[in-house]
Amino acid sequence: MLANLTKLTYLLRETWAGLQRGGWMNGAAISTVTVLLFLFGLCLQTSWQLDALFDHFGTQLEVSVYLEPEMAGAELLPTVETLPTVDAVRLVTKEEAWDSLLTELGVSDRTLATQQLEGNPLVDELKVTVINPTVIPAVVQHLQGLEGVDRAVYINEATERFRQIQRGLNWVSITITVVLSLTAIAVITTTLNLIALARQNELEIMQLVGATKAWILLPFVLHGIFFGAVGGAIALLLITLLRTLLQEILMTQTGFLRFLADGFTISAVQHSLLSLVVLSLGISIGTAGSLFAIRRVSFR
Amino acid sequence: MPSSPWFSHWFQRHPTTATVPAMVQLRNVVKQYPNGIRCLKRINLTLKQGDFLFIIGTSGTGKSTLLKLLYGEEQASSGQVQVNGVDVGSLHGDRLAKFRRRIGVVFQDYKLIPNRTVADNVAFVLQAQGKRQQEINRRLLPTLKMVGLAAKADSFPDQLSGGEQQRVSIARAIVSTPPLLLADEPTGNLDPYNATQILRTLQNLNAYGATVIVTTHDRHMALQSQQPVLELHQGVLYPVHSDAIAAPLPH
Repeated sequence: MLANLTKLTYLLRETWAGLQRGGWMNGAAISTVTVLLFLFGLCLQTSWQLDALFDHFGTQLEVSVYLEPEMAGAELLPTVETLPTVDAVRLVTKEEAWDSLLTELGVSDRTLATQQLEGNPLVDELKVTVINPTVIPAVVQHLQGLEGVDRAVYINEATERFRQIQRGLNWVSITITVVLSLTAIAVITTTLNLIALARQNELEIMQLVGATKAWILLPFVLHGIFFGAVGGAIALLLITLLRTLLQEILMTQTGFLRFLADGFTISAVQHSLLSLVVLSLGISIGTAGSLFAIRRVSFR
Repeated sequence: MPSSPWFSHWFQRHPTTATVPAMVQLRNVVKQYPNGIRCLKRINLTLKQGDFLFIIGTSGTGKSTLLKLLYGEEQASSGQVQVNGVDVGSLHGDRLAKFRRRIGVVFQDYKLIPNRTVADNVAFVLQAQGKRQQEINRRLLPTLKMVGLAAKADSFPDQLSGGEQQRVSIARAIVSTPPLLLADEPTGNLDPYNATQILRTLQNLNAYGATVIVTTHDRHMALQSQQPVLELHQGVLYPVHSDAIAAPLPH
């Protein structure tokens, strides 16, 4: 135990000596890793946020039919119900919708809010569930042709758009991660090579006095891991700051933007997972960079 | 003989009796560089534990190469190099690293780490070998006292004279109590007074039981020392017999 502690102390001291030799190159390596992990973490987090929004919209095969202001939903309900491809219809009156919206917005004085807008601005809505997803386009087209219908919205269209955005984001994320990972590894390798060059005398002496290969090279690996871990920590800090800032800005907004603010929240599990993934990637990249660097240290 | 409780262990571990096995044995050793230059031709040499040997020769005759063969930095083109019964040529990687822990090397250019203190430079060897701090502390001060640098433990190499830097180099070489000490031109950069001090230190270490090989281009100093001397000339070792050994070492 004591021997291991002595060894760890020595390795950490040698790593620190390497860091001191690195000078501003340490900053360059950490910055590169930070940029990579910041963008990677941001993409990952956004992907989760889109997932949350996706879930929020729901995945049911439902068509929302918004009626014209003067049209009452109850009048149109029997007509829609009789359509053969329709499974069920649910009426959401504009009063119910208004009530629900005011509750979501946290408005306490509902009468005043209604007066300020000169009445309820919403319309009646029919939530139509079809028997088969394949008939949705036909049902939507038919419903849009009915008198008193303003528009029929197929909610899964929106979710499909989200899916497309998510897929695009994943590709962007993969591309950024691959390109920047290679850049970060190259910068770490170069930095550690320069440090090895500056410490050539020490390394040579270490070899001559009987230090094993692992003993000489481990501080370089720890150095690489340090770059990755520090870069990851800074990236996580920046991601958290950015998310908090955006959330605070959006919370002061209303409507959809306010709704997005809720979407920006990530769960505690996701928060831990994000930290774990970002730090693991950082440490992996640091380790890879250091392993490439130490390949050039010659031994006999 | 200087007295030191810790160094006395060294003497006990390596008794200089006639029955002890060979510490260094070179048989028909040839070293030829890739450019075709053959700097060592059929070298045969045997040293027992506790021996002291000077190898003299002009610059470029292969003295350093001969020492490098002993601590495994170079490999013989042919022949066998044995140190303490170990075939050095067959060692690689960690086995070579662990073998080197049993050899102390003193360099002409000292090879000290400039940004570390004297104590750190010496302790560095033990740290690099994975020794515990307690063990390092136990060995450090006696070693520095041995070379007369206890008062300068916290100085940096650039604050020391050439002779003092060379003594740090010796301290570093002996701190792990190796049975074999190789000194490659240890007095090459020093004035006669400091050269004599270094030589005295090496002779003291030999008195404790260490086998010492010193290379030098200073024929006069080697002959004055009253120790065995071999001359490396055109890749071959010749014994040097001097009937006119000069006056004792100056004080």
